[in-house]
Amino acid sequence: MTQIVPLNKETYSTLKVDGRASAAHGDSQRFVQVIVKEFPHLVVHYPILFSKDPQTGQFFCGAMLGFDEGENLFLEDWQQRELYRPLYLQRGPFYANGPELAIDLDDPRVGVEGGKSLFTEQGTPSRYLQSIIWAFQDLKPGTEMTRLFIARLLELKLIEPVDVEVEFDDGTMRRCVGLYTIDQDVLSRLPDSVVVELFRRGYMRLIHYMIASLKQVPVMARKRNARLLKGTEGLASAVG
Amino acid sequence: MKAGGFSITLVESPDIKIIGVGEGTWPTMRSSLERMGVSETDLFKHCDAAFKQGGKFAGWTTGAADDAYYHPLMLPHGFAQVNLVPHWLQRTNTQSFCDFVTPQGRLCDDGLAPKLITSPEYKGLANYAYHLDAGKFAPFLAQHCTQKLGVRHVLANIVSVDQAESGDIRGVLTKEAGEIRGDLFIDCSGFNALLIGKTLGVGFKDCGDILFCDTALASQVPYLTPDDPMPSQTIATAQDAGWIWDICLPTRRGVGYVYSSRHTNEEAARETLQKYIGPQSRDLPIRKIPIRSGHRQTFWKNNCVAIGLAGGFLEPLESSAIVLVELSAKLLAEQMPANRHVMDIVAKRFNDVTMYRWGRIIDFLKLHYVLTRRTDSAFWRDNVDPATIPDRLKELLELWKFHPPWFFDEFDRLEEVFPAASYQYVLYGMGFASESSPEDVVDTGLQAARMRQETERQTQDLRGRLPANRDLLNKIREYGLQPV
Repeated sequence: MTQIVPLNKETYSTLKVDGRASAAHGDSQRFVQVIVKEFPHLVVHYPILFSKDPQTGQFFCGAMLGFDEGENLFLEDWQQRELYRPLYLQRGPFYANGPELAIDLDDPRVGVEGGKSLFTEQGTPSRYLQSIIWAFQDLKPGTEMTRLFIARLLELKLIEPVDVEVEFDDGTMRRCVGLYTIDQDVLSRLPDSVVVELFRRGYMRLIHYMIASLKQVPVMARKRNARLLKGTEGLASAVG
Repeated sequence: MKAGGFSITLVESPDIKIIGVGEGTWPTMRSSLERMGVSETDLFKHCDAAFKQGGKFAGWTTGAADDAYYHPLMLPHGFAQVNLVPHWLQRTNTQSFCDFVTPQGRLCDDGLAPKLITSPEYKGLANYAYHLDAGKFAPFLAQHCTQKLGVRHVLANIVSVDQAESGDIRGVLTKEAGEIRGDLFIDCSGFNALLIGKTLGVGFKDCGDILFCDTALASQVPYLTPDDPMPSQTIATAQDAGWIWDICLPTRRGVGYVYSSRHTNEEAARETLQKYIGPQSRDLPIRKIPIRSGHRQTFWKNNCVAIGLAGGFLEPLESSAIVLVELSAKLLAEQMPANRHVMDIVAKRFNDVTMYRWGRIIDFLKLHYVLTRRTDSAFWRDNVDPATIPDRLKELLELWKFHPPWFFDEFDRLEEVFPAASYQYVLYGMGFASESSPEDVVDTGLQAARMRQETERQTQDLRGRLPANRDLLNKIREYGLQPV
């Protein structure tokens, strides 16, 4: 159930929210929606790809986090706050309510001991709440900017399906379907005027982030292999 | 005239209304539209298009209440590797031929769409064509051709045709736009056949002695509620003197009775149609459309080629008229003669291929009638009279008693309108008895078993994933389909 209410400091001055990454609360997914503004942060860790919303068929941008359903290879890094965590996850149980913030009171992360206060004793937003406010300042226009970016790429036929196929050290294979990336052949044949247009709109940079980020796939595969290895070592010592 | 080095002018009379029926297409329409650069999303939004996954023929074999079979658009699974007909003939269960070889009949039974909202434009998980509003489709294409493909569209009535001594057409004189000259004229003047018939005197080959239906009564039936079930198959239900089509668009149904005026009269036909539609039919206008089954004796003469109704027409049992338009246009585009000098050579080829195609379509339509076991009316009894069956079809029926149709059959032309699979679906849907013995299936038994397993697995998978036909159409109208 959800119970989304506008957030105000009068009613919720003492409310605490646990905003940490947690497998139980939405962080265990292999693909998470992102906005174009995050690309510079994402490119150094995650493959940035397009996928389609299964309900509407519309494209969105996302960061790949794992190979299997529910697998997030970065969860521990996030829990140690070592890596950038995409805004759609950072936002936790908060929602936009027009220009205001809203919160889902039924979310299990809300009203828990050990969570963080939303307001200081003076009634101003805490550092945690401030980070959420900033996240939404980026998310709202960012989602629209991302939509426009995708629409232009589709017009230019710059999006193509990609098969992400990986073999792991234990001999298993994964083929991730429903993912799309930049069509580099089409990109290299764009007329000069379009190249300049994409450059001036800042799209060319985003396009290259996406292309470069594909190199994170083998890095992620190694991360998974290391985890598999750790698993077998544990097994070996248990047997020994 | 090098490729792209010519211009196209469409002269259309503003006074002659389009026929506006013919709401079913063949899957070729997908590749035709894609090649033209039409967005499939636009087609769904602007032409009230819906999916068509095949034809369901009710009452054609015995006329009993449960007498029905599918002619789906998917080929039998593994069609290129193994002919499943002998295996079906030797089956131990009561499964229909269609269900034995493909999931599509069951998808139709379940009212499922052939694709997902995430499937790209023109791509499906099951093969499909369209049902659409022909009255909206024509202006939709005209707009695309004038705005995107550079076709000049002149709204004018032709008053006379200017011919050279050789018979070649030099130009057409119009009331509103003066004379329009050209090197090659495509006659799309409908039943008028203004250029190919009236000007060049090419005769008409009537085939009413083979296909008896010569009249259609057409009606448009509104849905009672916005979420009435919406089948994605064209339903053709046999009647005393013809058959009734039933086609579902998102906004309404198109229902019409195609009948033989030699076997019934208009009043009785109206009653039959109204009875089929039910109480709703009382207030619905019914339009009468004469059908002249047949085609030109030649399709390309001098510098004039007839495409569409000017070339010919047959009862709309398998949406064949619109397929021929597509195939003829494609043939013309691919083999556009470089100059007048070589035009007659190209014309000869065009005529050979097109004549062959008309013949095969007539055979295929007649096949639906000759396999009937109905004797309850003169229409059905007359249809099995050997004198009304083309020789080639008679011969094939003899052959098929012992050799079920597959490859290596006489289907030798590139881009056969109806592949051997279509003949299989109709023959075995109607219970045609080909001889078969257990020895026929020994060599290919393992292969066939694998195809059967894959068909069952695919059926299960598709049933689990595909949305309801109407739900997907609503979603497409709201969100559109993606180009990739």
